[in-house]
Amino acid sequence: MAVEAERIRPARPAGQPGRPRPGLVTTGLVAPPLLWLGILFLVPVVLIFLYSVNVFSFFPGQQAFTLDAWKDFLDGGPFMDLFWKSIRMALIVSVCAVVMAYPIAYFLALVASKRRYVLLLLILTPFLVSYFLRLLAWKVILGDQGVINTFFYWTGLRADGDAVSWLLYSQFAVILTLVYVWIPFVALPIFVSLDSLDRRLLEAASDLGASRWQAFRRVTLPLSLPGVIAAFIFVFIPTIGEYFTPLLVGGVSGTMFGNAIADQFGQSLNWLNGSVLSFFLLVVVGLLLALFARFLTVRRLATG
Amino acid sequence: MSSDPESPIFERRLGRREFLGLGAVTVASGFLAACGASGGGGEAGGGDTAAQTAQHPPIGQEPGNLEVFEWAGYEYPAYGGKNGPLKPYVDQFGKPKFTFLTSDDQALGKVRAGYRPDTVHPCVDYTGNWVEMGVVQPWDPSLISNFKDLDPVLVKGGQIDGQQYFIPADWGFSSPLYRADKVEPEDGESWTLFYDERYKGKISWWDTPLENFVIWGYVNGVDDPWNMSDDELDEAKDFLISKKHLCRNFWSSQTDLDADVAAGNIWICYAWAGSYTAAKKAGLDVVYSEPKEGRLGWNCGFVLMNDTDNYHHAHEWIDAWSSVESAEWIINNYAYGHANTTVDLSNVPKDYVKVFHLDDPKAREEPNAHYSRPVTSADRARYAQRWDEVKAA
Repeated sequence: MAVEAERIRPARPAGQPGRPRPGLVTTGLVAPPLLWLGILFLVPVVLIFLYSVNVFSFFPGQQAFTLDAWKDFLDGGPFMDLFWKSIRMALIVSVCAVVMAYPIAYFLALVASKRRYVLLLLILTPFLVSYFLRLLAWKVILGDQGVINTFFYWTGLRADGDAVSWLLYSQFAVILTLVYVWIPFVALPIFVSLDSLDRRLLEAASDLGASRWQAFRRVTLPLSLPGVIAAFIFVFIPTIGEYFTPLLVGGVSGTMFGNAIADQFGQSLNWLNGSVLSFFLLVVVGLLLALFARFLTVRRLATG
Repeated sequence: MSSDPESPIFERRLGRREFLGLGAVTVASGFLAACGASGGGGEAGGGDTAAQTAQHPPIGQEPGNLEVFEWAGYEYPAYGGKNGPLKPYVDQFGKPKFTFLTSDDQALGKVRAGYRPDTVHPCVDYTGNWVEMGVVQPWDPSLISNFKDLDPVLVKGGQIDGQQYFIPADWGFSSPLYRADKVEPEDGESWTLFYDERYKGKISWWDTPLENFVIWGYVNGVDDPWNMSDDELDEAKDFLISKKHLCRNFWSSQTDLDADVAAGNIWICYAWAGSYTAAKKAGLDVVYSEPKEGRLGWNCGFVLMNDTDNYHHAHEWIDAWSSVESAEWIINNYAYGHANTTVDLSNVPKDYVKVFHLDDPKAREEPNAHYSRPVTSADRARYAQRWDEVKAA
């Protein structure tokens, strides 16, 4: 891009600022996705906002601008609490996923040498099975007559029938299954950043007397941070609005913000309130993304 | 969620939460509807049905492309089989087109957003919402030859302002189901089993805006559990929040519930007939209880859209649905009841007859059972808002 700009610039009349005019091909290539985004993303977002202040509705009825639903929500109450709970759960999930994926990525990038792409494919094999089925499998493992509890009965750690019931239909179950699902996703960006690491830096570190741990802490880890942060965002953002996993294994205590939104649009037919919750989530996620993006760029600049 | 091909009925009451997936579709259709559709509603109510029938062209002049908005498992030929009760209609008029609803609320939302079938299969407690929305018209019972055989109590439940807006079809109970080998009700059978601290983590309430409050209402003897005051609802909400830690989950898909009961995760739950038969088939020692406060009951049937071009075809379809053959089939296959009362119960499994009192219409009447009643959307919203708070708390 930059090179192209350099090449074009001399041809422009001197003193005229601005970027080079995009060619027909560029416009042709960019327009469909932009149109797609505009119609299927931006328009709905605007509609959701209009819905949330009651100036728009798909259904016939009285429309009048009001911030009541926003006030009710922002004043605190069960939905706000649920939002914070979702943030908390998303944090736990993303930290756990990153911490557990890092050694895998490290192994693949720096230890596994030639076999690493084969191993990488192996890590991705669970995705050949539908998520729904894998969640059902977790139910079989975690249930009161499941694999783990049966093991407890068998070893006598628990009396027969006295199940460890927080294994399934709990916050724990949601966090566990989400971490499990995210690990391969998370390993990828970390792997990429470790893979592109200049090995000579590690050699230099060891030449200069750094121990392996010091080399890791002072060289490898900082250089892989962009990947780690990208991985963290990768997990954290979608997990805040998670819906399906808590629905299946969350039970009463594992409910998350996404479930509340689904209920508002579904069985409660309260699209006004649902729009408030959705738009709020969208804004929070947008802000977080902006924040992370900034952080990432600075990091990149610092390391690159 | 998962569909068990052998038991299509499990799809029937599938979770209202599956709505999210459909939400996108609904939004899209709503958008189109907002652009395309105008007018519609407003015509419901009033008028004499015979005069109304006279306004419609005879059946020969109708297009005949009947479109039925149905629960999965209730479409031809899944319902009744190829040579079952719906065959005469199909032979004479051709197979209707079926589209599927996953819950009453979803159906209402879809029609609200502009979808216009000819007839829909909601439950009776939603009839008021359909009428209120102005999209349905009364049936003309004189066009339905089997109408005389339908249970008068259920028939009456489908009337609003003296007009038959709803033709009852299938019905069933809702009651606590419990594992007899694990659970010992303390003072006789009661809905209070749902609040029994001894069974913490083994209970599952149905995830629904209305029923959990209604149950609380019957347990506490409020004037009208189906139309509680805000104060009563708030009290119920606080109580439910204080008891929800006893629940392992709130179920929304019967398939999931049945799996949890079979896996021993759930010992006590709100259940329909299907869950009882499923648990029995899984070899579990279960009781479909008769709470002293009375069982709840549900009854679904058909409403007629007011801008249908297939007025007579719709009546013919409902006539086929109301036949005694239809009734026998649903009892034997889904263990649900049917509004047609002329079924020969000697052809029905004895256990079903006993557990669901198929031979005793009194069991379906107050105060033995409390059938779902029409609730206005404003009132429904009062319940729903609090249920959302219970869930979010």
